[in-house]
Amino acid sequence: MPTVVLMDASLSMTRPVSLDQGSEELQRKNLAVAGLTMLFEHMASNYRLEFTSLVAFSSLWELLVPFTRDYNTLQVVLVTDGSLGIGKGSLRHSLQTLKQRPEDKKFPLPFPFPAKLFIMCIASAEELQMTDTMDNLEKLLQLNGGDGQIFTMEGQLCLKSVQSMFGRLIDAAYSPFHAVLRCGNLTSDVQVFPRPEPVFLDQEVDPLPKHVLTDLEIVGFIEIGDISSPPVISRHLVLPIAVSKEVDDVGAGAPEELEEETSANQQAGKAPNFCVLLHGSLKVEGMVALVQVGPEWHGMLYSQADSKKKSNLMMSLFEPGPEPLPWLGKMSQLGPISDAAENPYGEDDSRSPFPLQPPVKRSYAQNVTVWIKASGLQTDVQKILRNARKLPEKTQTFYKELNRLRKAALAFGFWELLKGVAELLERECTLLPDTAHPDAAFQLSHAAQQLKLASTGDSQYSLFEHNINPMHTDFSGGGVGV
Amino acid sequence: MKLFSVSHKTAFVVDHCPYMAESSRQQVECDVLTKSRGQGVIPLAPVSKSLWTCAVECSMEYCRILYDNWPQHMIILNFLILNFLQVNYIVSDSEFHILNSWRQEDQSTHELMSALAAVGPPNPREDPECCSVLHGLVAAVESLCKITEYQHEARTTLMDTADRVANRGRIICLTNAKSDTHVRMLEDCVQETILEQNKMAASSDRLMPIQQCELVLVHIFPQGEDTLVSDRPKKEVSSLLTSEVHSVRAGRHLATKLNILVQQHFDLASTTITNIPMKEEQHANTSANYDVELLHHRDAHLDINFDFLSSLLLCCVGDLHMAGSTSRDSGLKETVTLKWCTPRTNSVELHYCTGAYRISPTDVNSRPSSCLTNFLLNGRSVLLEQPRKSGSKVISHMLSSHGGEIFLHVLNSTRSTLEDPPSISEGCGGRVTDYRITDFGEFMRENRLTPVPETLDADASEKIPSERAKAQLERHTRYWPMIISQTTIFNMQAVVPLANLIVKESLSEEDVLTCQKTVYNLVDMERKNDPLPISTVGSRGKGPKRDEQYRIMWNELETLVKTHVGGSDKHQRVLDCISACRSKPPEEEERKKRGRKREDKEDKSEKNCNKDTEDKSWQESERLKGALDREKEEQVESEVIKDSPDSPEPLNKKPRLEEIQLPEKAKGPVSLLTMWTNRITVANSRKHQEFAGRISSVNNKAELYQHLKDENGMDLHENGKAAR
Repeated sequence: MPTVVLMDASLSMTRPVSLDQGSEELQRKNLAVAGLTMLFEHMASNYRLEFTSLVAFSSLWELLVPFTRDYNTLQVVLVTDGSLGIGKGSLRHSLQTLKQRPEDKKFPLPFPFPAKLFIMCIASAEELQMTDTMDNLEKLLQLNGGDGQIFTMEGQLCLKSVQSMFGRLIDAAYSPFHAVLRCGNLTSDVQVFPRPEPVFLDQEVDPLPKHVLTDLEIVGFIEIGDISSPPVISRHLVLPIAVSKEVDDVGAGAPEELEEETSANQQAGKAPNFCVLLHGSLKVEGMVALVQVGPEWHGMLYSQADSKKKSNLMMSLFEPGPEPLPWLGKMSQLGPISDAAENPYGEDDSRSPFPLQPPVKRSYAQNVTVWIKASGLQTDVQKILRNARKLPEKTQTFYKELNRLRKAALAFGFWELLKGVAELLERECTLLPDTAHPDAAFQLSHAAQQLKLASTGDSQYSLFEHNINPMHTDFSGGGVGV
Repeated sequence: MKLFSVSHKTAFVVDHCPYMAESSRQQVECDVLTKSRGQGVIPLAPVSKSLWTCAVECSMEYCRILYDNWPQHMIILNFLILNFLQVNYIVSDSEFHILNSWRQEDQSTHELMSALAAVGPPNPREDPECCSVLHGLVAAVESLCKITEYQHEARTTLMDTADRVANRGRIICLTNAKSDTHVRMLEDCVQETILEQNKMAASSDRLMPIQQCELVLVHIFPQGEDTLVSDRPKKEVSSLLTSEVHSVRAGRHLATKLNILVQQHFDLASTTITNIPMKEEQHANTSANYDVELLHHRDAHLDINFDFLSSLLLCCVGDLHMAGSTSRDSGLKETVTLKWCTPRTNSVELHYCTGAYRISPTDVNSRPSSCLTNFLLNGRSVLLEQPRKSGSKVISHMLSSHGGEIFLHVLNSTRSTLEDPPSISEGCGGRVTDYRITDFGEFMRENRLTPVPETLDADASEKIPSERAKAQLERHTRYWPMIISQTTIFNMQAVVPLANLIVKESLSEEDVLTCQKTVYNLVDMERKNDPLPISTVGSRGKGPKRDEQYRIMWNELETLVKTHVGGSDKHQRVLDCISACRSKPPEEEERKKRGRKREDKEDKSEKNCNKDTEDKSWQESERLKGALDREKEEQVESEVIKDSPDSPEPLNKKPRLEEIQLPEKAKGPVSLLTMWTNRITVANSRKHQEFAGRISSVNNKAELYQHLKDENGMDLHENGKAAR
């Protein structure tokens, strides 16, 4: 999650910190800077892919380091001494007048995007509790939906305690997420970046957050075409990491290595790693690995390439739950192909068991009848008439359309329409040319009569499931049953 | 949205009183005559729908949109609830007809249509005094108390926290009310019924008290008349009941109203796909652009808003007032326009998709809608672009169907934190170049997943399919070297049948036979001394000699099979077969052990002193000797005995080679000529028996009739040993 650091630059931050030995005068600002330096150094070494922005504020604000990118989630680290100021524009005043603000000048919290707020106080808890500062800061957290934490300094204000405070922040928000990726007996130690955040389902039914386990277990593999761009809640790089145990002494004596780090990296680079193998094959085969990250929670591993031909192993997490993707069905019901009587992919990979069909067809897949717009009704009537003029060749389509109209008219209680269409068919009968097939006239009057009977509401003729069937005539070659 | 919000249950109450048989006075011309037939034909008088027909078809449209969209809540809320949102359809007159239940199988438009047809339109001649929509409202409240399958399921799984399952619902009542007082009477009646029913429900297992009920009264009146009932926004009647009144003209006004309501009630939003190229019906060779409006969950638009917000954020991180004031629900009539991008390829790509929502076309059977949906149902996907006045093209959505259902996928169009990550080749294991990529690809194909139908009488002891999939992965990876140079057997075509079978959970007699055949085949190969694909990566030169290669191969094969021996007796039989076939006389084993030591030494020397000429030449001699050894072995069978592998290294060989190479070495690194000559020498030595004299020559000079000086018989003795 990208981080915005808000640094309090107001005058109170320049208050000196009383140190016992008058060695060097320190201001609260210096402490804040030391803490932030520690945070940034931690990110530089353990959280390299994090993006950070720095804003300094007092009564005005200045963007010191802008984001180079835009995001939809953030972490905000506010560094302040907790002097809230007085009068208009101070936090105290703003919180008191929260509900009186005009619509166009709403209080900035809650942020219009998911955000965690961490408040780093260059002050001790006691100091803050002497005034109402703590209450105000807590109010601020509440406004943000409670997502975040307030950190205060323990003991004397000095470099050591500011470091311990930032250390706590690092543990809470910037500790790398280490896990083991497993595919049967093949394993690799990995770092998952960014850290997978706990997910809340419906708070009412299940108020507990769901966490990604540190055991990422591959269940099996699915073609990219079959999983077809599934929706995911987050994406994470899966970076193989060298475990602390020494890589065996292959190449240990290589004298050319100058930098220790490169040497270590190269050693790690030379030992085969499962992630690299998996990544390579996923890329070549165009597949994803389905990975279980928790009880009833899955994700997929795949090769993600950028424009510069660099590619990496990526893990996307699905929404937790037993059936995150309707076209795959229940995750727990996905079994090995050897379970099936015959290979569901076909011997030549020409078939696929996916996607699963839903039990009920959607309206657009089942030729529903909607007459809300007059054009819908007109089209349906015209279809019947068009086919009526081509009897007996179009007998089947004629009756199919007729029955569709009949069903809808009965359901909508639109008996007037049934009568109307019956009249239209009778008129068509009189308009038949001399050359017309004799069967046409029979079918038209038969259909008209049936519609009229249905329009009486007589249960014998107006059953919904009943269909008007073509009349049996003796004319040879009639369209009946053709 | 909560799982059990008021939208979980919707009860429709449609008034079936005689008054509803009145005409809506909206006329539909259904006899549209074509010009050619116009003359002399009297067109049919226009038909008009009754208030009842209008109410029914509009509420059916509400259900259609809902049914098209509803299971998407599984995605958002990730609870698979097929009956998450349900419609109970009640027709009300002097008595009431409940057309369906909360049950899963009743939830389809077809079921409702069939039931409606059975009810038929209201009878205008009936006594209006005995009819009241009240009967229907009471029935609606009663039905809301009834537990749905999903509520039941949730209560059973939550057990002790079953009280977390809430019971809320909505009643939509389509009626013709007499006055505002009449409306108030209806509200009071619903309120009272809820209280009554809740008392009853408290003492029942199959009923649940209603915690919240939303009453939506839609007053319908014919065109051209004035309404007697006034519109009223939602107000709280009690803590249990809210009520709102909509007064609407029958016909298209009613349709529009219910369309707005379904969007409000189910958090839907509208997207218009614009610029869809379609062939003209009349002129097949021309094409025009059409628009199609779709309804879907409003979250599909979240990113569009975010895009805007985050761009604001980018320019003014401090001033969040502006961003905060951008309201997300700005008007329901709004539609987001997205541009069709004609798909160019059919290639499958994995898009980064942050959401997928089911859709329903607003105008489902219009030609443009059905063209679009059919195109998608046939398996093509369409990318959608945000129309922008300036700047680059932004693809933000994709339409795609999965198994007969169309989804609007939200594609990530904002830039992400994961841009420009390091390449995998820069990390651990990134430098290794001989991964068994193809083999692992094959492994993945064998471990693809397939949906296994749920069996009703599932054996509790039986593992669920996904666990069986994991178990299969475990079996298949018991011995799986990751790189080519770590394995011999997996580089051999001859081993494939055995390797494929041995990982199986259980073997058939036939499988065992195939495995045994594979082993015999390998024995045969060894006898014929076929070359093995032993990797030479890491060791310079030609690697171990052939019998050593076979020893490595057999060991590896044994390792593979041993990991599966626990599986069954049949697996054990395969292992037994291997052990039996590869057994060698003990001396040979002994000799091999020594050979191994020698090899280790070789390895080390190679690692440590690459440039050491002395050693290199020593290795060369070793290799030469190896080649000779191989030659000798070939002849063991034909009893042509030259030298024994067990004989001490001929001392005179080393000096010879040293002398050849030293002059060259002194000048610096090995020259190409030397390398070539050595290669040829080695190759030649393999092809023919080296002249005995040259082998034992010193400085390329061989002493003739040496044996005369030697003690007779020593050679013989040694040879005899080897022949055994």
